[in-house]
Amino acid sequence: MRRLRLSEHVPSILVASLGAAFGVALLQLTGVLSTLISADDVTGSSGTVRIFLAIVALVFIAIAVYVSTIVTANTFSTIIAGRTRTIALLRLIGSSATAQRRAVAGEGLRVGVVGAVLGGLAGTLVSLGVVGVGRASGFLPELAFDFAPPVIALPLVAVVLTTWLASWIGSRRVLAVSPMQATGASQEESLEQASGHRARNVTAAVLMIAGLAALALSVLVGLVSPAAVLVGVVGGLLSFSGFVLGAHLVMPRVLRVVGRAFGSSAPARLAAENAVRYPERSTRTTIGLVIGVTLITMFAVAVESFQTLIRQAQAAQPDVYQGTDEVLVVSVTVFSILMGFSALIAAVGMVNNLSLSVLQRTRELGLLRALGFTARQVRRMVLVESASLTVAAVLVGLVLGTFYGWVGAQSLLGSINGSPGIVLPSIPLLLLVVVVAASAVLTLAASVAPSRRATRVAPVAALAVT
Amino acid sequence: MHTTENTLVARVESLGKSYGSSANAVAALRDVSLGIRRGEFTAIMGPSGSGKSTLMHIMAGLDVASAGRVWLADTEITSLEDDALTILRRRRVGFVFQAFNLVPTLDIEGNILLPFELDGRRPSSDEREWIDRLITSLGLEARLRHRPHELSGGQQQRVAIARALATRPDLVFADEPTGNLDSRSSREVLTLLATASREYGQSIAMVTHDPIAASYADRIVFLADGAVVRDLGKSTPEEISGLMLAMERS
Repeated sequence: MRRLRLSEHVPSILVASLGAAFGVALLQLTGVLSTLISADDVTGSSGTVRIFLAIVALVFIAIAVYVSTIVTANTFSTIIAGRTRTIALLRLIGSSATAQRRAVAGEGLRVGVVGAVLGGLAGTLVSLGVVGVGRASGFLPELAFDFAPPVIALPLVAVVLTTWLASWIGSRRVLAVSPMQATGASQEESLEQASGHRARNVTAAVLMIAGLAALALSVLVGLVSPAAVLVGVVGGLLSFSGFVLGAHLVMPRVLRVVGRAFGSSAPARLAAENAVRYPERSTRTTIGLVIGVTLITMFAVAVESFQTLIRQAQAAQPDVYQGTDEVLVVSVTVFSILMGFSALIAAVGMVNNLSLSVLQRTRELGLLRALGFTARQVRRMVLVESASLTVAAVLVGLVLGTFYGWVGAQSLLGSINGSPGIVLPSIPLLLLVVVVAASAVLTLAASVAPSRRATRVAPVAALAVT
Repeated sequence: MHTTENTLVARVESLGKSYGSSANAVAALRDVSLGIRRGEFTAIMGPSGSGKSTLMHIMAGLDVASAGRVWLADTEITSLEDDALTILRRRRVGFVFQAFNLVPTLDIEGNILLPFELDGRRPSSDEREWIDRLITSLGLEARLRHRPHELSGGQQQRVAIARALATRPDLVFADEPTGNLDSRSSREVLTLLATASREYGQSIAMVTHDPIAASYADRIVFLADGAVVRDLGKSTPEEISGLMLAMERS
């Protein structure tokens, strides 16, 4: 039992690596950027730009680590749900629940270490590559850049610790496994049961309210000082944690509405029902994508709103804002890469969770095959299920992202010289197109492996007694 | 031959099934020939590993034979493609499983109507009438909007029986239908199956190792080591257990 089950953990290692690579590369490249800016005459004089860069880097790292923590915690929950029988069997033989949970957390720690090492190497390679290309093309001057500032230990340690924490959080279900379950089929909670966690719902509401209050504060303080964005980050993390914690109340309802849009054929109806059947599971599957889309939208809306703010400020005081267009272009490029990263982390979580949940439904799929579902109908069912999960996640993510992006832009730049005060959020049209296209691709990608597995399920599987 | 074909709702001829590679193949069925008579309630009995489940899987088009031929009524299903087998199961075969196997996301009515849903059609008014009659006689009227997990085991199995009978299939396969039930619910379910066969002429093949369950059947076929060893008419539980014991000892 002590052996690390590698295949189950590949997605978590990938997530941890992405997080670590992201943090390391970001700090190294921000270092490069700072060195550049100090060497530049125009912007070098403006100390605020360097402060902005440092703040932005820290904010991004915090967000990336947060995303991978949630994705990993969810992946671990799904793994545990699939292992219920094994855990119950070990409990039956005499292993304590705490020992079982500790074993899972031990796996999490190892996943974190492996991910941090791989990610740290990958991140360094990426920034060396970027700087190398920059120098070769003459875009970057031959300055001495530091690729190993002590600060890069921060994301690595953070990744190890949060992966460990995530596996601990994700494994809390272990405690609920009774030895009796070794004799029956594993069951997840129904909607009624899941909605009934009072303590959890109250915590979610408290976090949400506190977070929203902090966000409102950051918008107001943002009119005076850019440091307000830090209050905003706290508010964002609090309110989003509240959302994640209470997502089992929100996502199933959104899924139900979305599910109706896919028609009333048998596969579509079953798919819609599957998507809402275990709110815990569907929430776990969608939350990664909600986070991804929220982040993408947040950055896109923030950048767009930055530009609106800066252009309006520029129009008011042209001489203060000479050269800021370049900074904008650089930040848009950097942000785009960051968006891609968070989307990747979210996609890994989504694909993995859907695959696992199909894998854990072998018996039911066998039943449908036995009763007369053709392989094509089963495939269509998995596709529709995947599509309704994606659509619901994207919708929620767009709404949340627009809100957070606007708050971010407002609190970071609300105080700049010539600021127009509070502006409306600007939503780039390109974003909508990209998000819709990407989610279509993701839906397909996420359903390929599960639907192949689903159609390989022999109808006889339904008849097996255990 | 023609007269027997009309009265047989399913039959297998020289059926063989083995698992594993040819070097160390394990034979689950060897040279089984058997006909299930139309309108009869047939029990297929045998100790664990006798091949009774494998036989049922193959007759129901869930598994493929290694040798021999399989018919459902006049259709030879031995070499049918997966899709054709699927449609055949959907329209002409009913299933009752040991673990009930209702679809947890559908309510009771949805589960009963599932075979029609899968076919992409609504029941005709004639079929609707039949289904309503089933629902009434199985005492499920008050349960139609409930989900399977809200029902007791016996009730769930009644829903499964309603689902299996709804399309008036050629043959209903019941795989240890009382295996997960207490003795009172077991009696209820068995009586229902026997009634369906007697009153509606429904052909039923039930796999079981329980002599009491088998005593409800019109005919009992015994399997041991992958071959048919006895073929009895209606028998008492005592006679059946006596035979089973004798088989175990030999």
